[in-house]
Amino acid sequence: MEKSVTERYPEVLLETRGLTKYFGGLAAVSRLDMHVNRGEIVGIIGPNGAGKTTVFNLITGVLRPSGGKIIFDGEDITGKKPHLAAKIGIGRTFQAAYLFADFTVMENLVASFYLYPKFSFWEAALNTPGYRKKEEYISNQAMEILQLVGLDKVKDELAKNLPHGYQKVLGVARALAVKPKLLLLDEPIAGMTRDEIVFSLGVFEKIQSQGTTILLVEHNMEFMSLCDRVIVLNFGQKIAEGLPEEVRRDEDVIQAYFGSEHAA
Amino acid sequence: MKGIRNLTKPAGFAIFIILLFLIPLIIQKPYYIHIFIITMLYIIVVSSLRTIALSGQVSVAHAAFMGIGAYFSGVVSKELGFSPWLTIPLGGLAAMMVAILVGYPFTRVRAIYFSMVSLFGGIAIVALIRVAQKWTGAAGLAGIPPLDPINIPGLVNITFVGQKVPYYYFTLVLTIVCLLVLYRIEHSRVGMTWKAIAQSHFVASSVGINEAGFRVLALAVGCFFAGIAGASYAHYNLVLAPGTFSFLPSIFLVMYMLVGGRDKFAGPIIGTAILVLVLEFFRGLREYAPLILGAIMLLVVFLMPQGIAGLFDQIRAKYGEVRNRKVPGSVA
Repeated sequence: MEKSVTERYPEVLLETRGLTKYFGGLAAVSRLDMHVNRGEIVGIIGPNGAGKTTVFNLITGVLRPSGGKIIFDGEDITGKKPHLAAKIGIGRTFQAAYLFADFTVMENLVASFYLYPKFSFWEAALNTPGYRKKEEYISNQAMEILQLVGLDKVKDELAKNLPHGYQKVLGVARALAVKPKLLLLDEPIAGMTRDEIVFSLGVFEKIQSQGTTILLVEHNMEFMSLCDRVIVLNFGQKIAEGLPEEVRRDEDVIQAYFGSEHAA
Repeated sequence: MKGIRNLTKPAGFAIFIILLFLIPLIIQKPYYIHIFIITMLYIIVVSSLRTIALSGQVSVAHAAFMGIGAYFSGVVSKELGFSPWLTIPLGGLAAMMVAILVGYPFTRVRAIYFSMVSLFGGIAIVALIRVAQKWTGAAGLAGIPPLDPINIPGLVNITFVGQKVPYYYFTLVLTIVCLLVLYRIEHSRVGMTWKAIAQSHFVASSVGINEAGFRVLALAVGCFFAGIAGASYAHYNLVLAPGTFSFLPSIFLVMYMLVGGRDKFAGPIIGTAILVLVLEFFRGLREYAPLILGAIMLLVVFLMPQGIAGLFDQIRAKYGEVRNRKVPGSVA
């Protein structure tokens, strides 16, 4: 018999307790308790406006929570600045294909290797031999990631000239440059063609197999089969959680997605 | 073929710089030498303004930071008797310190809001210069010492008092050094990080870039060089008036940069050279200077949004074939 999810991934990496965010009087996220274990792929799904992206923005510090706690790798990171989230090992992509539009694909990656290795202003300005060695190391690493996600063939194209699917994959590649323990993917396959989706799923599995934990947001139910576990949000509240096939049969979930007459 | 093309650019620069060194031999009228000196000082200032703009922020207080360098160096050398050779770098550091102090609150706002806040900051700095009239003389600071003579017995003996040509060479060397440093910084990872922030601060912070820190760094570097140029100006002009560093001159600096083209390193150099000359040409119509600059500015914005330095690219994009386009998969 297959092991249960908790047995396969026993260690908690990310946990939120009573996480709440108000926009004015509206609760975008309301008393959310959830956790992600090390090594898992967890999906957050829910209809539009359910608060999925807000959860990401709270975890990465783009937004400050109105209440509750976020604990990552044993450390309270509630309300930390976005660049510190990257520093402690949280990489992320954005729903819209945010990128450094006027950089080439390669430059996008090189610029994203900001944290590792460290460089100082003076060694960069003086172009010291040690600094040049770091540059070389970075371009090798960048090339490795581009090969992993299959963008090595377009490395000299301007990011803004890439097709939409490639731009989203570039977002994933860029997030990998921070060597994340946890990778947050915000609607990673939205707007992609069939082929691009199949390819991306392969990439995500490869990333997971290298030991990176993945938390992703989707509103497409079909995409859930990739996940070890699924959390369903509606109006900022968790309405269901479990294995993909369990959640798919859950009545509350069906109701949230299709309205009450479909729930039988 | 490629080797030759790689050589033409440095060779062109070398010839250009040699020509600049020969100019005092060809042009002897002090007035023209004066214009060259002023143009070069402003090239440093506008290039440093562009350095700040690399991180996505257009400062409308840059003349004020030039003023901090000028007044600091002028007052310290006059009152305390320090050599201008020492107070010029100190003037740069003073401008840099102020930039760091005001920089952090400034980074809370972006884009046009940053420009607005910087505008008020610039006005405040000039007001402070006027208020400190015990040292700055309110309406004007006179009696600033000129550069000390360089005297190495038996080798060189250069005196600066009442001479234009030594100042010309001093400013030329200073400009070349400053531009080289700014160029190096822009083409290092620091410059790349600034450009990344300018393109998307969301993405930049998502990969761990400390946006506030790097924006303050850009301000610090930019204001340091503005301060250096301002201080050099003080010991050349020997008289300072707060109006030189007020709001309108700050706007002019932004215009020089935009007319030249902010995307290219050569932009500020071209823009400043052309516009300083234009302003000198219309010297008799001094009160109409903003009008003339404004008209030029409008023309540039409508006809060549990338500035004069970007004109070549613009024409090529419109009429020419796409040259040197990188083919996917090719080895760079």
